Amino acid sequence: MSNDNVKERVKKVISEVLKMNIDEIGDDANFIFDLGADSAQSLELIAGFEEEFDIEMDEDKALEIQSVSDAADFISTYL
Amino acid sequence: MCYRNLTQEEIQQLQKNQCWSKNWSGIKVKDGFNPARLYNVELYGEVKLGIFDHELSINGVMKDTCIKNSSISNCIIGDNVYINRVADLSNYVVGNASILENIGSIHVTERNSFGNGIEIEVLNEGGGRELPIFEELNAQIAYMLVNYQHDHSFINNLKEMIKKLVKEKKSEIGRIGKQVCIQQVKRIENVNIGDFARIIATDILCNGTIVSNIESHAEVINARMLKNFILQEGSRVENDAQVENCFIGQCVTIGKQYSAENSAFFANSECFHGEACSLLAGPYTVTHHKSSLLIAGLFSFYNAGSGTNQSNHMYKLGPLHQGILERGCKTGSFSYLLWPSRVGAFSAVMGKHYSHFDVSDFPFSYIEEQDGESMLTPAMNLITVGTLRDSQKWPRRDKRKGTVIRDLINFDLFSPFVISKILRAQEKLETLYENANKKVEVLNMEGIKIKRLLLRTAKKYYKIPINIFLGEQLIRYIEKNELRDKADFYKIAFNSKMSVHEKWVDMIGMFAPFREIENLIKAVNHGDLKDLDSITSELENIHQHYDQFSWQWTVNLLEKQLGKSASQFDNEDMKYIIEEWKNDQIKLNNMILRDADKEFDENATKAYGIDGDDEIRQKDFESVRGTKNSNSFIKGLLENSRKTEEKAERMQAFFL
Repeated sequence: MSNDNVKERVKKVISEVLKMNIDEIGDDANFIFDLGADSAQSLELIAGFEEEFDIEMDEDKALEIQSVSDAADFISTYL
Repeated sequence: MCYRNLTQEEIQQLQKNQCWSKNWSGIKVKDGFNPARLYNVELYGEVKLGIFDHELSINGVMKDTCIKNSSISNCIIGDNVYINRVADLSNYVVGNASILENIGSIHVTERNSFGNGIEIEVLNEGGGRELPIFEELNAQIAYMLVNYQHDHSFINNLKEMIKKLVKEKKSEIGRIGKQVCIQQVKRIENVNIGDFARIIATDILCNGTIVSNIESHAEVINARMLKNFILQEGSRVENDAQVENCFIGQCVTIGKQYSAENSAFFANSECFHGEACSLLAGPYTVTHHKSSLLIAGLFSFYNAGSGTNQSNHMYKLGPLHQGILERGCKTGSFSYLLWPSRVGAFSAVMGKHYSHFDVSDFPFSYIEEQDGESMLTPAMNLITVGTLRDSQKWPRRDKRKGTVIRDLINFDLFSPFVISKILRAQEKLETLYENANKKVEVLNMEGIKIKRLLLRTAKKYYKIPINIFLGEQLIRYIEKNELRDKADFYKIAFNSKMSVHEKWVDMIGMFAPFREIENLIKAVNHGDLKDLDSITSELENIHQHYDQFSWQWTVNLLEKQLGKSASQFDNEDMKYIIEEWKNDQIKLNNMILRDADKEFDENATKAYGIDGDDEIRQKDFESVRGTKNSNSFIKGLLENSRKTEEKAERMQAFFL
């Protein structure tokens, strides 16, 4: 799966969890500062990525993910 | 103590000093009595006077001990007291070296129990859970009295014991202990006052006991009113507080206009500004802010944010509802809970909640209001800075000192009580996940909503405390038993066990296997435990055996986790437990560190550097808050991770 493809699916999850238009989500958008995610939503995003990609991410490392690009890169290591 | 009649010379000297008695033969004195130290004193009935040959420091000025400008009826006055401008002192024994000054009236009106035995309507404002208060009450006995009303025999037995104790405390004569200081008080009526207590500038104290001693002084300073109360060692009621029908346990502070009625507060609680009604406030209940109304709730290790509010009725049959926040909960600013509801340990409640939920099986949760509905995020509060910081600070903030420590408190963050709930939470999350329609975003569960996406993640996060608990228990067992090698360990470690299904209770501070409490109740009902002292001793005994009970429970949990019986455990199993403990402890530390990062990110600096640019803003922030690397909590976490690695290595070697 290409990195672009992963990014698109990451954005899809973000748009569903944070209830925002997918077009508003930039590649480098920070979940907290740019997209306004709170702590519980950060957890929800991780859960969403896990379900979307059918993976189980390391709990500790998953919390390091701050942006769409971070997420795509990190998730790619599981695919 | 030998007293004698006054001599004629002494009576003449007293009269010369403007002293008066209708019947001087009722006035007895000790040998060495100095009549020159009484001036303008009216003496009524039988009064015994001690010796006055010392000085006392009165507000920093050394003054001769004496009695002046006062009226005294039927009292025994100790040696070297300083009594000045007390309009009416009646029916009291006053201890040595006490100071009584500028008091309107301090008297005992009739034979009474000084607040002991008063029943206060805690937890349920409408009554039905009345708690009889008395000087020796502790959190655990209160917990049983309030919560085990279903066992009529037990409650009746317990109340009979209390009645007996109260009867022994009844007297027509009150006691003011030694080295007590009472100044600027309008009225004290039917109040026993222990040694070294201080009561200053307070309007009214009525019907109560202040338990105080040399090790732990109790104080009432600038309070408005205390009525029907027990105040234990080391506690303070101050600064316009009003207390009515309340029990105030050891080292509790109530002040800054706080108003409390029908409530019991246990060790180290702190209540300022707000209002309490019908609380069973276990140890470390803290409410500091204005507009916080805590009502009809059971708490411990609780922190109420500003404007916290709770309702105990729905305007139907009156105030019959009650709520429970298990230990370590926090309620955010302007949060609201409509009772009845029950919240799991170490959870954070934010927003306003109008549904009735029971999420006691989901410790470490966030309970938030989203679009007017209550939403549960299980395990979220596990990975926040606050929970760990709180658990570290409670033992450090235990102000109790001296030989009498009443409430039994266990500070473990991960205990069989909490872990057994986590195990149930995992089962519930799994069942919900399996049955959930993948297209459904939000599920209903026990009166609250939960996001479907979080079910699997929360279950995974809950594995972390289980692994940490298992490792902690294993290491604690080895260390506490001072086991030298694995042969010693296998010889004794798995000899007894307790089913993992066995229920544990948190008796506002004290963890116990419920079986042990049931046995205690049976012993009371069978007449084997006949008085409160023996019940307290039995509770202390259970508390002291916590590590043993906890280990027994852990053994069965290990069997479940490892899928084999304890007799089959080997070194590899133990090393695996230690490895999992190490990994998850460090993982949890790292997750908390990520939460701590937020305390130093750009959002955190937003209100800093008032007139400067970004550089000034950062510098201002760092000069006030410090840097991440210099923060003591963060350094402590990193140190803990390092020590965890070291300890894991040592423990792995133990099982080589």
